[in-house]
Order: sequence, then C-alpha cells, then structure tokens
Amino acid sequence: MVRAVETDLGAVVDAIRSNPEFRHFTMTPLVGRDDKTTIFQNVFGDKVTSLTMQVLRLMIERGREADLESVHAEFVKLRRSEDGIVFATVTSREPLTPEQKVALVEKVELRIKKKIEPEFVTDVRVIGGVKVAYDNYVLDGTVRGSIGKLREKLRYELLKQS
Amino acid sequence: MSNEQKSSGSPIVGIIIGAVLMVGGTYLSLNAKAMGVGGIQETLEGQGIPLDFGKTIGTIGVFLILFPVIKSFFIKPLQDAIQERNSDLERTFTEAENLRTEMERMKSDYDRRLAESEANAREQIQSQIREAQNLRSSLMAEAATRADALVQQATAEIEAEKQKVLVELRTHVVDLALAAAEKVVGENMDSERNRRLVDDYINSVEVVA
Repeated sequence: MVRAVETDLGAVVDAIRSNPEFRHFTMTPLVGRDDKTTIFQNVFGDKVTSLTMQVLRLMIERGREADLESVHAEFVKLRRSEDGIVFATVTSREPLTPEQKVALVEKVELRIKKKIEPEFVTDVRVIGGVKVAYDNYVLDGTVRGSIGKLREKLRYELLKQS
Repeated sequence: MSNEQKSSGSPIVGIIIGAVLMVGGTYLSLNAKAMGVGGIQETLEGQGIPLDFGKTIGTIGVFLILFPVIKSFFIKPLQDAIQERNSDLERTFTEAENLRTEMERMKSDYDRRLAESEANAREQIQSQIREAQNLRSSLMAEAATRADALVQQATAEIEAEKQKVLVELRTHVVDLALAAAEKVVGENMDSERNRRLVDDYINSVEVVA
C-alpha cells in the first residue's frame, strides 16, 4: 500500500512537472477548490488508489496543492527511512548493463551494509567509469573524479612546496 | 660731653676773675701813683709806650667777663651748629656709606643672582641640548628600526607575492594540463573502454567484512 501511494503521488507529481498547463491549473488560486477536486477526481480517480485520492482531496481542500512535490519527496524519504533503504544515485557515461547494475548494487550494499535504492543516470561529463552517491558519501570511480583527485593532490603539493 | 662739663664750671670762675680784674684794674688805674706803679708808667710813657697797667688789667677783666658771654651767645650756637652740621654730615655720610654698602650688597646679590640665572640658563640650555640629542638619537634609531622593518616587510611581501604568483602559475599549468588530459581521454573514450573502467571499479570496491 505504501509503495502504491508513493507510486501514485510520483505519477501526479510527474504530470504536474511535465505539463505546464496542468501545473498552472493546479497552482493557480483562481480555480475554486471544488472544481480542482472534481478535475483531479476525473483525471486520477481511476488511476490511483482511494487513499491517494483522499490525500489529494485533503491537500486541495486545505489549499496545499503547491506542496505536492515536497510532500511526495518527504513521503519517499520517510518510506526509505522506515524500510532502512538508502537512496543512491549511480552516474555513468553510458547506461550500465543489467549485470553491471546488479554487481554494483550488491557491492555497494555489502559495503554500506544497507539496502540501496539506486537511480541510474548518465552524464558524459564523467568521461568514463561510474560514481555512486548516497547520503553524504560518494564512491567515485570516474575518470573525471580521478583527474580531480590528481588536481587536488598536485595543488596540495604545490602549496606545500611554497 | 666732657668739654661741656669743663666749660660749664670755667665761665663763672672766669667772670669772677674778670670782675676782680676789672675792679682791681680800675682801682689801680685811679690809684696808680699811690700804689707805686705811677713811676713805671711814666718811664714807659717817656720811652714812647703809654701803658696804663690799671686799664690794661681792667680791660683783661672785661674780656674775661665778655668772653663767656660771647661764648654763650655766639660761639656755643656756632659750635652746636657746626656740631649739628658735622653730625648731619656724618649721618649723611653714614647713610651714604650704608646706602653704598647696601648697593654693593644688592649689586653683589644681583651679580650672584645674575650668575645663578646665567648658570641655570646654561644648564637648561645644556639640558635641552642633551635632551634634543637624545631625542634625535632615539628618533633616528626608531626611524632606522622602522625602515629596516619596512624593508624586511617589503622583502617578505615581495617574496610571498612571488611565491603566490609561482603557485598560481603552476596551478594554472596543472589545470591546463589536466584539462588537456580530460579532453584527450574523453576523445579517446569509447564504450569498450568505459565498460572495462566500470567493471574494474566494481571489482575494486572494497567490502568491509
């Protein structure tokens, strides 16, 4: 149920983010609460759980539509905390293969002794390799990271010499 | 004072003697022949000296009577005036002497004070000169110290700036070299190399037991 609510809220937030007109409709105070509730009921009524719908109705009635994104983010954070799961962002130059994803997640989970919930993103700026960021930690195996470490080391040596 | 005491007794005696002589002389002059001096007077008169002993003695008695009177009414006031004049002169001289002494004392005191003032002035001038010399020395020493400090500070700042520029230059060189390395590596990176890098990293992740 928790996962279903999270997924539903994520879908609503994605719809608000991806559709400017719907976002304006949701955020504007010029549309009445009853109209907003009706529209939301018509759009999401058959796509989300009743519990999610109750949450949406409650937030519209309280005039908290603008907080939908932050409520969703906080919900995800609380769910992960409750389940003992750490969110991790895995950045690589190209998409990882399924085998690489599995192997990397297993290694990271063994290392931090917690389950992780990875989000795989691609970024050509890493040049090569892979980087895993979770909480306030970063496991950097990228070429850019190695060059950065080399830069810091050289600068430190230069400063030490001076 | 002793002269006045002597003279206070003598006038009476002189007057008495004078009166006796005047009376005796008159009597002698009137009774010269009877008293045996007429012959002598005639002899002297015959020789061209008409001398009457009685009149002469009486005249002496008159002088003896007149002398104290003259002395009392003329000589004594004159002597007093002279004495007073002398006293005034002596007092004047004494005062003048005192004034001269006082003046000399004041002059010597003035000279002494002038000398002391001059000595004090010289001492103060010398003291001021010494103080000025000391101040000059201390100021020169302080200026030299500050100049040295400024030179050292400037030298240190120049050296620090030089080191800073050198470090910045080297850092810039490092950044340029690493940027070039990134560019070269990025251009030469392909999927196979990237896959190997990912696999190598996955294998190198340390797992704490």
